[in-house]
Amino acid sequence: MKRWEGLPLPAVFFLTWLLLLTLVPFLVILTMSFLTRTPEGTVQGTFTLENYARCFNWIYVKMLLRTMWLASGATLSCLIIGFPVAYYLARSRGFKRQIGLVLIFVPFWTNFILRVHGMISVMGNHGLINQALLSMGLIDEPLTLLYTRTGVYIGLVYNYLPFLVVPIYSALEKLDGSLREAAFDLGANRIQTFWKVVVPNIKEGVTIGSLFVFIPMMGEYVIPDMLGGAKEIFLGKLMVDQFYTMQDWPFGSAIAGLLSVLLLLALWMQKRWSLSKSAAGKPIAEPLFQDWENKTQEAYS
Amino acid sequence: MGSSVPQRNLFVACIFWAVIVFLYSPLAYLMYQAFLVDPNNLSSGFTLQWIHKLLQSHTLWEPLMTSLEIGVASATLSVVVGTVGAVGLSHIKRQLPSFLQTLIMLPILVPEVITGLSLLLFFLLCRVELGKFTVIIAHASFSASFVYFILVEQLRKLDPQMLEAAQDLGAPPGDVFWKVTLPNVIPGLVGGWLLAFTISFDDFLISFFTSGAGLTTLPLKIHSLMRMGISPELSGLSLVMICFSAVLVLTLFSTEQSRKWALKG
Repeated sequence: MKRWEGLPLPAVFFLTWLLLLTLVPFLVILTMSFLTRTPEGTVQGTFTLENYARCFNWIYVKMLLRTMWLASGATLSCLIIGFPVAYYLARSRGFKRQIGLVLIFVPFWTNFILRVHGMISVMGNHGLINQALLSMGLIDEPLTLLYTRTGVYIGLVYNYLPFLVVPIYSALEKLDGSLREAAFDLGANRIQTFWKVVVPNIKEGVTIGSLFVFIPMMGEYVIPDMLGGAKEIFLGKLMVDQFYTMQDWPFGSAIAGLLSVLLLLALWMQKRWSLSKSAAGKPIAEPLFQDWENKTQEAYS
Repeated sequence: MGSSVPQRNLFVACIFWAVIVFLYSPLAYLMYQAFLVDPNNLSSGFTLQWIHKLLQSHTLWEPLMTSLEIGVASATLSVVVGTVGAVGLSHIKRQLPSFLQTLIMLPILVPEVITGLSLLLFFLLCRVELGKFTVIIAHASFSASFVYFILVEQLRKLDPQMLEAAQDLGAPPGDVFWKVTLPNVIPGLVGGWLLAFTISFDDFLISFFTSGAGLTTLPLKIHSLMRMGISPELSGLSLVMICFSAVLVLTLFSTEQSRKWALKG
């Protein structure tokens, strides 16, 4: 334990805080996942692997795949929509850029639940979209957007888009403008410049940004719960239901445990991959948190 | 510039503005609904009765105060913890072990459901009564990491010569911290506090798990109103809250802008 020696007292305090409020609760839920549920719904201290075995039941595997499919689709859409937005911001200057950043961020200083409420009132059967389309005579019957997978998908993209715009924006901003200029001067066209110059330079920042959007989406509970249908269950809801309606805490904990393992694995793989690409081995969070800082500074300044 | 780099791109600008419309239309529509006689019918005429009703009702007052209280307490706590952590760990010149990096980042990265449920089990295990206290601790447990990252960045940007100068002039370490380091990272502290406050004020899920039966924060109240269908009260509240956040962001933005311009002029 040599590396711990000589840690200053404030650092020790912070680490204790983290251990106590992050690692210990996580270990509690992990322990819970190995315990047995009694028929009455209470928890018994007998070790079992039953909860994990149940997770591999096809119903739950299907749920996992469905959630993954939705989360990756929504992340990809955020990337595709987010890139031009970030590009536009990075290319504009001065006041225009400031205004653009504020415009992207004002919705996200409003309450999350209200944003979901807004989506419901826009997408519902009597919502803005349907009322507009009906009155224009484009459709005869209201479109069913709400309480479908499409509804959940639009909700995810709506809520996570800015969190992907920011990392792409900062990666683009850091990109040396003269690189693009050089590429154009050497006769590359826009598409070549994009794939050969821009993409390799922003790849790492964008990958980390995508992970930071994908991972929370995998556990998203409120959006599928409020915008999705009752038939299609996603992982987040499955987990919460085990705790609140099914009274099966050990099984709920096992799902949480498995999901965490999957997500940590994704993170580790990303890190491995970026380490092998760049020998420098930058700490994983830093590029992102530079963005966070820029974001708060720019939103407030 | 006189180079061959294409400068204008109408297509990109169109996408940008389309995204802005996408982001704002639900909020704009919510605000508009607050003035409709029948919130579900665009052509039902305008009224101020919902706003009037909201101002007269007291059902939202208590949740609002609870949310403000929890927000202020947890933001302050996270700024203290995050600052202590950032100051403590920024002294370490070599790279932090990766276990440590992951540990600091974990509260931000882990899906909220997992954070919330594991904190719930943890509080139950410790036999802490669920309520304001547990919600404050839960919010601070992840906001502190945000503050940490903001502050670490700011501390790194500080000119080391400035700190050395203070030391050379005989300032004890405590004075260097309070009189040189801290005043120079105030923007980070303010930004971190506001971020932590917003996270807490906004949070639904973690509060949902850790608040127990008796406590209702504003997002929890809105959620239960939504469960009962679209209530006019809710439309009025949406209007007030959206205006509030827009004014907040714009004020902060414009004061900083005007200061910058004033400095230039």
